[in-house]
Amino acid sequence: MEAVLEQVEQLPALLAVSRSALVRDWDALTLDRALEWGRYFQHLHDRFRTRPRLREALGRRLRRGQPSPLLGFPHLGRCPQLLGLALLENRALPPAACRRLIHSLLQPAGAEAGPEPRSLALLARRKAASRLLALPGGPPRAPEEMGPQPRTEAQLLLSRLREEAREAEPAGEAAGRLRWLSGVLEELPQPRVFEVVAAALLLRPGSDAEQAGDGGRDGKSVDGNQASATGDEGVAGLLLSWLLGNLERFSAFCLFLPGSLLASLAGHYSQFSRPYLDLLTGWGSHLLYDPLQGRWVKSCLDKAELSWEELRERFTCLCQGSALLRGQTQDALKLLKARDGDFTVCGLSVWTDLLVEVEEYLRKEAKCQRMNPKAT
Amino acid sequence: MKICLLDLGIAGKPSYLFIVFPPCGRLSSSLCGCLFTTAISWIEAGLLKDCGMAQGTTVPKLNFEYWLDKAIEWGQATTLESQKDVCLHLPRLQEFLHQIYETLKHMDSVVAIQQFPLIGQLLGRLCWNPFVIGYDESQKTLMWCLCCLYSSEPQNPVELKANSWIRSLLCHLLSSSKWESNEAETGTFISTLGYTSADYYCHLVKNMVFPLVTELRGNQFNGLNIQGRVSASRVNAVSLFCLPLITLPDLTPLLETLLLYHGGASKEILSSEFLEAVNEAFLKKKISLPESAVFSLWLRHLPSLEKATLYLLDQLVTTQFNSLEEVACVMKDSLLPQAASHPAIFRIVNEIFKNALLETDGTPEVMTIIQVFTQLFLQAHQNENKRKFPLKAYFPYHHQPLLTALVRRPFELPTTHWSQHLKHISDMLKALVEDTNISSLADLFEIWFLIARFGEWLDIAAEQLLKAAVEPDALLWLLAFYYCPQNENQQRTQTMVEAQAVYNHLMLLFSCTVLSVKDLEAAVHSIMDIEQCCNQHLITHLLTNFLLFSSGGHMIAQEFIYHRTVEISKLLSSYKMYEKTCLGQKLLLNLEHFTCSVITETTDRSKEVCSLLIRSAYRIKHNGEENQRTVKLLNELLQKLTSKV
Repeated sequence: MEAVLEQVEQLPALLAVSRSALVRDWDALTLDRALEWGRYFQHLHDRFRTRPRLREALGRRLRRGQPSPLLGFPHLGRCPQLLGLALLENRALPPAACRRLIHSLLQPAGAEAGPEPRSLALLARRKAASRLLALPGGPPRAPEEMGPQPRTEAQLLLSRLREEAREAEPAGEAAGRLRWLSGVLEELPQPRVFEVVAAALLLRPGSDAEQAGDGGRDGKSVDGNQASATGDEGVAGLLLSWLLGNLERFSAFCLFLPGSLLASLAGHYSQFSRPYLDLLTGWGSHLLYDPLQGRWVKSCLDKAELSWEELRERFTCLCQGSALLRGQTQDALKLLKARDGDFTVCGLSVWTDLLVEVEEYLRKEAKCQRMNPKAT
Repeated sequence: MKICLLDLGIAGKPSYLFIVFPPCGRLSSSLCGCLFTTAISWIEAGLLKDCGMAQGTTVPKLNFEYWLDKAIEWGQATTLESQKDVCLHLPRLQEFLHQIYETLKHMDSVVAIQQFPLIGQLLGRLCWNPFVIGYDESQKTLMWCLCCLYSSEPQNPVELKANSWIRSLLCHLLSSSKWESNEAETGTFISTLGYTSADYYCHLVKNMVFPLVTELRGNQFNGLNIQGRVSASRVNAVSLFCLPLITLPDLTPLLETLLLYHGGASKEILSSEFLEAVNEAFLKKKISLPESAVFSLWLRHLPSLEKATLYLLDQLVTTQFNSLEEVACVMKDSLLPQAASHPAIFRIVNEIFKNALLETDGTPEVMTIIQVFTQLFLQAHQNENKRKFPLKAYFPYHHQPLLTALVRRPFELPTTHWSQHLKHISDMLKALVEDTNISSLADLFEIWFLIARFGEWLDIAAEQLLKAAVEPDALLWLLAFYYCPQNENQQRTQTMVEAQAVYNHLMLLFSCTVLSVKDLEAAVHSIMDIEQCCNQHLITHLLTNFLLFSSGGHMIAQEFIYHRTVEISKLLSSYKMYEKTCLGQKLLLNLEHFTCSVITETTDRSKEVCSLLIRSAYRIKHNGEENQRTVKLLNELLQKLTSKV
């Protein structure tokens, strides 16, 4: 067993080498051996995935060799693809080895008894499928629905976070995990990372997203659902800490995403609704009334803040959420209005005007719904 | 005796098509159309490759120019016309790629590029066409070709460049590529998470299929099922770009939704190429669809239904079946009996079977197939809960009381009532045929076909004649009608007379416990010198039943088998042209000696007896009443028959 553990500890190094320029000295035989290792690790994964204690032992050992928790037990299962594709993309690999690599990728040695996702011809096919299915002509997407790409990235992110939550020791690791998460999320450019995080927060187990979720091949079914509820909370908590940890990032997040999406988040997560309202409050208080134009304008045009219309839209969306959220929002607005002097006339307090407009909108909505009960 | 001509493989013989399927009626025009277009495309393909005669001795000329021109024309297949064109050519392109690969794999990469200078351009362009990459196995073959062209020891900058280019193409196909901007963003993210493009695209495809399914199913949550808001051109476009992906399992929900989509338009909005391709994939068992989707496909696309029926017929006729259970199994798998619960489908299938029977001059195999189909259809119909059509919907032009009588399954009646029931059927039939003015041969044929498909009752009639005949004349008449429906020149009457004579004689011998072959011989020879075709069948039927069900017959049957084995194996070698089971032929051959001294077409007769025995075995198993000796004999005979394949 110790021998196995020692071998497993080498995986990160193997992957690192396969991505580096060190492969330029590899020949066909070395390549074969590397791929053998990949298959061996996959074999280990398949053997031990239903044995929790051994899984843990292997997972722990794997982490020992890495500065940050980059790879866990489930990665052993994906080893052949990880290795193969990393080598394919590595331009330093010499031709002879490369030819052998291509050969093995297309015709995996040994009995390919694994499930479908492991076939590379299928990968090429799926890639083409994603281009075909993206052909234009479809109906416009509603703002609160995520595009398929951010959604997929969110699913993978969640899947990884859940793996982490399962594999790593829970106590005392929170700070480390947050750091790791920040590092990972930095890989994505800014507007995209917001979409992904929002999607990840909204993808909850049991929702329609899960039917497109990961196939549970990494032992999800083994662990069962007893840990999943608390695990998910932990995962969500982690994402929210990242989000709320940096004020600039948080404002950019709330600026970029549409109001309905943010309202959805506020409805699900109370840790989110409070800071969100505070942020909106901050932005609102920066608005000035322009008597010449008869409307509220931004005090400083180059600052990244919301305009009056956008602010109104955000508050309206919040009020269209759950009863709790609506109550919270309206109470907050009333409080602000009172603090500002409790004016009833327009143009004096931004909160008065907001409250008036929001309530007007809600009244109209309710009327519409009464007259046409079938329309949502 | 090929029924399914779609299985030609002989692309250079269009005349064969013309002979066997002459236009005859509304069905055949569309059927012919379907066959003709298929034939033409094969002939076209035949220009590209050898007719198969040379058996691979000559390397087929690879038509690079043609395909390169096509690839340039298609570009990345962004316009509807180019998409349609690609979809039409996909199977042949795959074939062509396969040929290239077969040629390349024995060559050195340098030699390959010298010999096929256009290959680089072609493969490169094809890699950018998602229709080509998404289709079936084209991507695999393409990648293999690229692998063959990759040189493991590049000697000069040109080769190095070629290698690098191949690398890039493979990365483009398999992982993130520098040419696609949107992938650059996510590539590093995914790999930092520890996933690969394999995981990413697995999820992505599912995430893309789901909204399409939702879009097509319509928004069913707001009370109004507004399916119609999706435009017909959109649905058509979706069906077109799904075409290469039909055998990708992730797409099955979308296929199902498309097949079940009814937009309210009167014309078919799904592209016919799509429907055809789905049908092909289903027939070859490359995908599995729910029944409702398959039925919907056949209801909306007639050529698919025709193809499915012909395919089934071909399968059943060309495979050697040892028992009717196997036949029934294959039929049930094809879903056609279940689909036939829709009267429209039933009528089409019925027509095709009828034509097949006519074209093959009523061979017993086809007849058996039709009989099994009818049984399965009745079963499915009886089990149907949701929307049961009355029998009249399926058999609108027939005498309803007769139909009702025929539709009763034998197990629904106690065995003692069988004779009575058969007499009832026989009387009705006689009344229909003799008393009413049957104007045309076609009408007579229809009546005959109705009886023939319920062959179970006919077999029971023959059995009852020998075992428990209450009124043999009626039963004999029924059998005589089946084997000889026409009576213009008193053929049927004559058959009846002769059959009666044979029957009487057989009944005399029935209770004899000790019989010899000569006794039987005498029985039959004493009557006739028969040349007539109909009588031979009827008498064979009677004789076979006699052998099975009489005590004396058992002994003779075994004698035929055990002691004639030597003689049989000698005879075997002289019958080279019979690929089907031989022992039955020998049994038959001996029977013929005894029935008539004319040696007729041995194959036909052997098949007949084989069919009879197989049917009897099936019937006995399902009706469950028979004495052990008969069952044993039957099993022995069948075993011998089928072991000598």
